[in-house]
Amino acid sequence: MNDPSASPLADDSAPFQRLHPLSVVLKSVGTLGQNLFVILVLHFSLFDQNIFYTALAATALIALVVGVNLLIWSRFTYQVTDREIRIRSGLLNRNSRSIPFDRIQDVSLEQKLVSRLLGLATVALETGAGGGEDGQLDALARPDAEALRDTIRDYKAGLGTAGTEADELSVIADRPPLFAMDNRRILIAGLFNFSFVLLAVLGAIAQNFDFLLPDDFFDPRLWLDALPEPETIDRLGSWARFGGVLAAILSLIAVGLASGIVRTAVREYGFRLDRVESGQPGFRRRRGLFTLTDMVMPIHRVQAAVLQTGPVRERFGWYHLKFISLASDSGGETDHSAAPCATLAEIDPILEQCAIHRATADLAFHPVSPAFWWRGAIIVTLLLAAIAVGTGFLLHQGFFALILLALPVAGIQFLNWRHHQYALTDSQLFVRSGWWRRQCTMLLRRKIQTVDVSQSPLDHPLDLASVTIGIAGGSAIRPLMIRDIDLDQAMKLRAALINQQKRP
Amino acid sequence: MIIRSLVLLALALVAEIALWVQLGTSPGLVLIPVALLALLQVLVLPGRIYRRWGYDMGDEQLRVLRGFLWRTDTIVPFNRIQHIDVAQGPLQRLFGLSTLIVHTAGTHNSIVTLPGLATADAEQMRETIKGHIRQDMI
Repeated sequence: MNDPSASPLADDSAPFQRLHPLSVVLKSVGTLGQNLFVILVLHFSLFDQNIFYTALAATALIALVVGVNLLIWSRFTYQVTDREIRIRSGLLNRNSRSIPFDRIQDVSLEQKLVSRLLGLATVALETGAGGGEDGQLDALARPDAEALRDTIRDYKAGLGTAGTEADELSVIADRPPLFAMDNRRILIAGLFNFSFVLLAVLGAIAQNFDFLLPDDFFDPRLWLDALPEPETIDRLGSWARFGGVLAAILSLIAVGLASGIVRTAVREYGFRLDRVESGQPGFRRRRGLFTLTDMVMPIHRVQAAVLQTGPVRERFGWYHLKFISLASDSGGETDHSAAPCATLAEIDPILEQCAIHRATADLAFHPVSPAFWWRGAIIVTLLLAAIAVGTGFLLHQGFFALILLALPVAGIQFLNWRHHQYALTDSQLFVRSGWWRRQCTMLLRRKIQTVDVSQSPLDHPLDLASVTIGIAGGSAIRPLMIRDIDLDQAMKLRAALINQQKRP
Repeated sequence: MIIRSLVLLALALVAEIALWVQLGTSPGLVLIPVALLALLQVLVLPGRIYRRWGYDMGDEQLRVLRGFLWRTDTIVPFNRIQHIDVAQGPLQRLFGLSTLIVHTAGTHNSIVTLPGLATADAEQMRETIKGHIRQDMI
């Protein structure tokens, strides 16, 4: 490891460090896990179930993986100065990156199951540039990782690097969390997280491991033979058949519920949101059953809050609170989940922390133009009519019934229109949307970056326009939009939004 | 636009030949309507689009209008702009034009482009905007 080229700055004297040696094991285990399947396949196909060849191949694979990871590890060094962190990496293409502490949006520690066993933690630094991880140290010993996080936090607070960690921890231990979920709450959250992912996973497993099943498993004739004689079914009577269908539907629902609960429990187990004071005030969130994540997000980086719920969930008073900030959440979510399942009374104190208020009951929401639903309904009906006529004449008369689908679609669009509203207060913009996936975005007006007014060819004759609001963070695919309002209303709204900007 | 029309024509030609070889349809079935469309695209649309294309430098904000069928009207407050590019392609250099590109921190609309400015204008706009950029507005 060569010293950094002699630099006039004093803070460059900090030593270059390597990642924890055990991280080689960690990475190797990860890669091997992915390749285990290949070995299995080879064992059954090419090697003809010869255990000797398989063992040989496995050894070679392990040697290769560990060797490569060892090389990568030996070439990966990082240096923490008092203003920035520098990371040098790369086997052939040497890459040196420096991340100033000023630009770091949030620091998160993540511990997957294996890293917990080894006592390691991955540090992910987010600068908000172009999404994704901007600096990742995979992995450090847990105390080192925490020390690094505290260094960054202390820098932001303008403190020295004196150990404030102990004070911090005791403060947190004393104070009750802003929000925490016990197991019962996780169960409730899981019930509303109904999904068929488990079913899909089971299907995928069945697909991938079909060599374990009998050859003719997917042969329908086998199953037809296995079914009882048609007379047996006929004798069962209509009630029994009805019962059979009901049982099938119920079991599907049960699978959906179970997979929702399992998924939620794995992700949200031990959910705890705290307010941390040292450094910049921020939110600290810890959660996870197997993969522990520990994330700190500065409060002033919060751009907007999103309250999500559904028709059933709202009846029971459960809401999901998310924050939009520049950095994106781990696991592909664009927003930071702050309270996955909470009542409004629990959410208010969290919102209080970042000076966002919920819409008061007397706040008048403006509806959008009714064209929002009838235009969509007409388009869908015409499309369905074309398909129904086409298939009805060409294939079978039964396809004419397709036109009936237009009714529920139009109904859903009508409900969506009823739930698409917006309201403006002195400091905030509220946008509600969606009937099934209800969400209310609460945006601080001074965080608005750009405002678009756009018209599609279908909007011109009706003089409608959609307003798109650019905020830092959130989804690029589904930006915050107010759809289909009158053009001059849109212009006025935009003028109001932009004028707010001039004041600060 | 001319380039886009040429691409469209090339695609139509491929489709035409494929149809002709496979099904033996009469020549010109695809090519003639597409050629008409391309002609329309070259002759009519650029004028319309140009007429709709505009910008307005306010005291505090940049407004960009564009589009003929799909119209967009964007406002970017100066103090939200993170950095500015003035870019020039080879064709633009031939005509002494430049594209002004402003970057904001927003996820939607993080890059707002304004093509076809005279280079001197673009550079002057850049200087104006530069004066408004403040530190760390996020």
